[in-house]
Amino acid sequence: MELSTVQKDAIQELGNIGAAHAATTLSQMLGSTIEMSVPAIHVVDLAQLGDYMGEESAAMVAFELQGDIPHGGYVLFYITRESAVRMTNTMLGMTKLDRPLSEMDESALIEVGNIMVSAFLDATAELLGFIMLPSPPALTIDMAHAAMQSLIAQMQEETNEVLLFSTELACQEFKIDSDIIMMPERSTLIKIIELLENMVKTS
Amino acid sequence: MTDTQPRNSQPSMIGIGEYRVGSFPMTTIGLGSCIGLTLYDPNLRLGAMVHIMLPESGGRADRPGKYADTAVPLLIKELIVLGCKNRSIIAKIVGGACMFEYFGTSLNIGERNAGKVRILLKEHHIQLGAEDVGGKVGRSVTFLPADGGRVLVRRADGTSNSLL
Repeated sequence: MELSTVQKDAIQELGNIGAAHAATTLSQMLGSTIEMSVPAIHVVDLAQLGDYMGEESAAMVAFELQGDIPHGGYVLFYITRESAVRMTNTMLGMTKLDRPLSEMDESALIEVGNIMVSAFLDATAELLGFIMLPSPPALTIDMAHAAMQSLIAQMQEETNEVLLFSTELACQEFKIDSDIIMMPERSTLIKIIELLENMVKTS
Repeated sequence: MTDTQPRNSQPSMIGIGEYRVGSFPMTTIGLGSCIGLTLYDPNLRLGAMVHIMLPESGGRADRPGKYADTAVPLLIKELIVLGCKNRSIIAKIVGGACMFEYFGTSLNIGERNAGKVRILLKEHHIQLGAEDVGGKVGRSVTFLPADGGRVLVRRADGTSNSLL
């Protein structure tokens, strides 16, 4: 799966627009400024997934991409466990950092993930003129690699490499670091690239 | 992919679909629905480890370590070439979890992976020594063939145990 520079730039631009919308919603929820990274695109061989996702404990809210392509891949809201505690503390008015995550934390994380991923997909779908809807959310708080690996195993199209497309969203005030990670199926990726290329041609 | 022993004492890292055969320490991180399978021959103090992702290869042969149905016979063959006997090999299985309940209900790949590996071991007359599978928990595994084939399992909460 080789992407040309033009294709990478186009996907990056798409990510910028989606992540900017997600960042705005996060900023509103936390009442603070959010910094956003330039979206990073990695074509990752499965055997090397460990270079991108490790043993660190993280909360991940996963959504399957649905809509115009029924099983389009996955989008995740990823946040390290430490950041997750700081985020729910900020939202729920708590201060203790060294504590187990409760059901209330889990609901808050799912809600944040839901709002951010919906904003991300709304913005990208509007640009592409192509419907991408999130499935109901699924949360896991465990080893990042284990969660990611499980999603890859249930992808529809058999593959030896995946495209990980991630944008970092950070809040310095509360020391919160999170990512939105998109992992499209190959056919979804091809469709997205096609739509982006057509846009460039007609504009 | 039979490796010579790495010079440093760091365990050899086994990614998804990869395998190693030897007496050096081996490790694989973050098993979710995947399976970490170890085979160990106490007579020769030799072992093999593989990181399996799916139960069936459906005829694909490019990455035999990725699928249970191609990985199990391959590992056994590699060990037999090195002089191991089927009846002395001891297997241990780790992983096969269901990390996301919502997606898991329709399609529990972890359970299918573990089930397939058990069936294949039985077909090849390999004794299943121990297993730590299922649940909703990620696991990392370190395999030490030189230390009696010890298998160490770590979890994200910091707990760990040894599979005897």
